[in-house]
Amino acid sequence: MGLARPIQEYESVAQWRQGLAAQWGGDPLAEDPEKLEILASFCEFTGQDPDQLVAFCFLRKKDSGVRFGSAVRQKELAARIRAWKETLGLPPRQAQGRQNQVLSFLIHNGVSIQMGIG
Amino acid sequence: MDFKEVIGYRRSIRYFDPDREVEREKIQKILEAMRIASCAVNAHWLQAIVVRRADIPPDVLEALKMPVAALVQELAPVHIYCYLDPSVVVKTKGKRLKELHDVGALNPTHGWSHKFVDEFVYPQILEPLTKSPAYPVAAAFDCGGAGTQGLLMAFELGLGACWTAFNADVAKKYLGVPDHWLPLYEMNVGYSLESRDAGGQRPRPPFEELYHEGRYGVPFRRDPVVVKDLERDKVLTPPAPLPGRKEEIRRIAKQLGLPE
Repeated sequence: MGLARPIQEYESVAQWRQGLAAQWGGDPLAEDPEKLEILASFCEFTGQDPDQLVAFCFLRKKDSGVRFGSAVRQKELAARIRAWKETLGLPPRQAQGRQNQVLSFLIHNGVSIQMGIG
Repeated sequence: MDFKEVIGYRRSIRYFDPDREVEREKIQKILEAMRIASCAVNAHWLQAIVVRRADIPPDVLEALKMPVAALVQELAPVHIYCYLDPSVVVKTKGKRLKELHDVGALNPTHGWSHKFVDEFVYPQILEPLTKSPAYPVAAAFDCGGAGTQGLLMAFELGLGACWTAFNADVAKKYLGVPDHWLPLYEMNVGYSLESRDAGGQRPRPPFEELYHEGRYGVPFRRDPVVVKDLERDKVLTPPAPLPGRKEEIRRIAKQLGLPE
């Protein structure tokens, strides 16, 4: 399943771009387009677009409607990231690098999944 | 390092060399520093369990981690799990106060005697205090003081350290902690991958917002001459962010394989 529109048009990707630029300066997504390709590859694997990936990590309280980060869902997503990494068939360091791009996308969207050191 | 510099260059270190072991003697020195800290009624509520991260089974380590501290816990080669033992006052029944009396720390000049401890301080102050809701707060304050002394010792020894929370249920089971102990924090210890200034002294609320003089709402006046003295003595060190901090973090991220 491909994405319905160009990946950089998703709100969460714009947020990623903004977060990276604020943190590191420049426009890291433009300077390193592979970042977007990696994210697109993960989206393909999960069958979800970038905004859906972020939304998946949050739930709303039934009574108040307040949004909160779901630890269970984030664990589930971490498992999917691990599974995707396995399918890449890359040397560990390279696979870790790709995983980190997905984690970076999530981090700058408020989802901190810590998967340890490479 | 000079005491003032230890204070001035202490930072919460979040990047450790995960493979560099910490010498056992340095851990002991941290614990020794905790033991001699100031403590109300000489009770010593703080208990600590030292664990080498490499000895923790991977599934337990995973379960011990907290969402915002997981990486620090994973990187630090040594974890010192700190607990509060609330039973100590009732167990010792003023014995440790009497020890202070016997060595000349608590004297008749201030009204102290064994009888005073046995007939007044313990039964009328300490024992009732242990039933007060304020008791764990008071005891935790003392534990914090002792822990801080250990923390500063870690920096004096050339180590880095950072307090984090930990999963208390998992730790209780893994460490065999008594039921009545209260979990506090975990001191993560190791050799820092960050530079000595670690990006600079962290932002803090303005001095006058925190400290008052005479009564609440009257700020304690901050004398710029004293500030200059402290800068000279390296208690107050250049504030974050220092140039090169982002490059430093990027370098460490690459070294450890972390996301940016």
